[in-house]
Amino acid sequence: MEEFLKQFFDVGFMVDHFDEVLDGFWITIQLSVISGVLALIWGLILATLRQLPGKALMPVRFFTIAYIDVFRGVPLLLLILIIAGGIPALEFLPESLRLPEWFGKPDNFWFGVLAITITYGAYMAEVYRSGIESVPGGQMEAARSLGMSHGQAMRSVILPQAVRKVIAPLLNDFIALTKDTTLVSVIALNEVVLVGSDIQSETFNSSALTLGALLFLALTLPLARLVDKLISREQSRFTRGAPRVEAL
Amino acid sequence: MRTTRLTALLAVLLLAIGSFVVAGCGSSDDDTTAGGGGGGGGSEPLTVGSDIPYPPFEQGKPGNYTGFDVELLEAVGKSIGREVEFEDTSFDTIFLDLARGNFDVAASAATITDEREKTVDFTNPYYISEQAILVEEGGEIDSVEKLNGATVAVQQGTTGQEFVEEEGEAGELRKYPQGPDAVNALKNGTVEAVVIDIPVAENAENAGQGLEISAAIPTEEEYGFAVAQGDTELLEELNEGLKEVIDDGTYAQLYEKLFKHEPPKEIETATHEAS
Repeated sequence: MEEFLKQFFDVGFMVDHFDEVLDGFWITIQLSVISGVLALIWGLILATLRQLPGKALMPVRFFTIAYIDVFRGVPLLLLILIIAGGIPALEFLPESLRLPEWFGKPDNFWFGVLAITITYGAYMAEVYRSGIESVPGGQMEAARSLGMSHGQAMRSVILPQAVRKVIAPLLNDFIALTKDTTLVSVIALNEVVLVGSDIQSETFNSSALTLGALLFLALTLPLARLVDKLISREQSRFTRGAPRVEAL
Repeated sequence: MRTTRLTALLAVLLLAIGSFVVAGCGSSDDDTTAGGGGGGGGSEPLTVGSDIPYPPFEQGKPGNYTGFDVELLEAVGKSIGREVEFEDTSFDTIFLDLARGNFDVAASAATITDEREKTVDFTNPYYISEQAILVEEGGEIDSVEKLNGATVAVQQGTTGQEFVEEEGEAGELRKYPQGPDAVNALKNGTVEAVVIDIPVAENAENAGQGLEISAAIPTEEEYGFAVAQGDTELLEELNEGLKEVIDDGTYAQLYEKLFKHEPPKEIETATHEAS
């Protein structure tokens, strides 16, 4: 038992390597925030495209649905490997796109952003869709009968209500996204897991990994409580006295 | 309604059980065909951890591994009367795993270093090596100095990584989980050079992928098989077996087959004291 504690919970060791692990975690945070924001936007675009009415726009709906199916079906890890291996090999692309080094971040960072945005955009699109579909049909009818076009109705009436409903599930997806950023370690990005396992292979002590886990908790626990609060606040709008989710 | 729910539940259970059965039937033993020699005296096979693939030292599919480490250890095993079973493991935790008893021996082109000696014990050296700088054909990085400021790839946890961290001043050091990943990164242009064991680099050079060794880095490394610290019995057995294999010419045969030249004389007398 003592061996186990020394191997994984050596506090002195964690203090010694704190800066290193924190640097790695900072990369994790940047990756999460950038991919998260992009995925939220991309998901909303996908969900809107999926809803476009009319026979003429059937191809758009079809491809959007196909996109969502494919990228919810392919594991993120595979996608990361394919993107990181494939894009640099596309000879016809200019160097700045093949090996992006924008804003001082290396290409594997941006490949990670791309893979995560593509995948989580698909997940979030489905969440947005459930929000859109839960807005009562009467809203759209009323808006159209006031003379608004489909686009105007979506923008001013439907989407504001829809997005409000799904903030909590979207935030849940965001929490999942921050944890999935660790997958980008396979293309040698120095995020917290790679830093921790590097320290482990040099020193034969695994406490840096535990430290990484603790840093993650410091990030995700407050987000999880925020989700709870948002859910209970949303519910209290519609239920009067009925059982609600307990916010801690 | 009750019957459909019941059937749904049954279907899920069957699917779960079915997948277990398939997994059980599908997995073949990681038995290497260790010379078939009658499984000697009924002693247990030696489990060996190795980061596969790392050609030309280990590669192939489960049950069918080949490579210098694999074939040499099989020969050693035959001479001490133990069968040898290789299993794939990741290199950056291999010494920790060995110390914890996940397997009996680690055979993974592992360099004997003082750091590692704190956690495991090494046999006498079975290979003398150095690092190499691998670049795309016509690449400019042909010396350690030229590594400065460049994007360099290594395999995580290797002496190649250690070398670049301590001696080089690479602009960016990329640590990949497996050796071939680093070579692939070089092939598609994501990095400018790879620092890796010379035999692996030679293997990549000869694979006709447009890569070449631009420089050798004489780090005078020796590879050893590793056992858990304090497992002196197994260590002595392995050393004896290794000496026999060297003395009776099997070692030289294997070496020439894989590396296309004669083994260095130092191997015959190289020893290593377990600390």
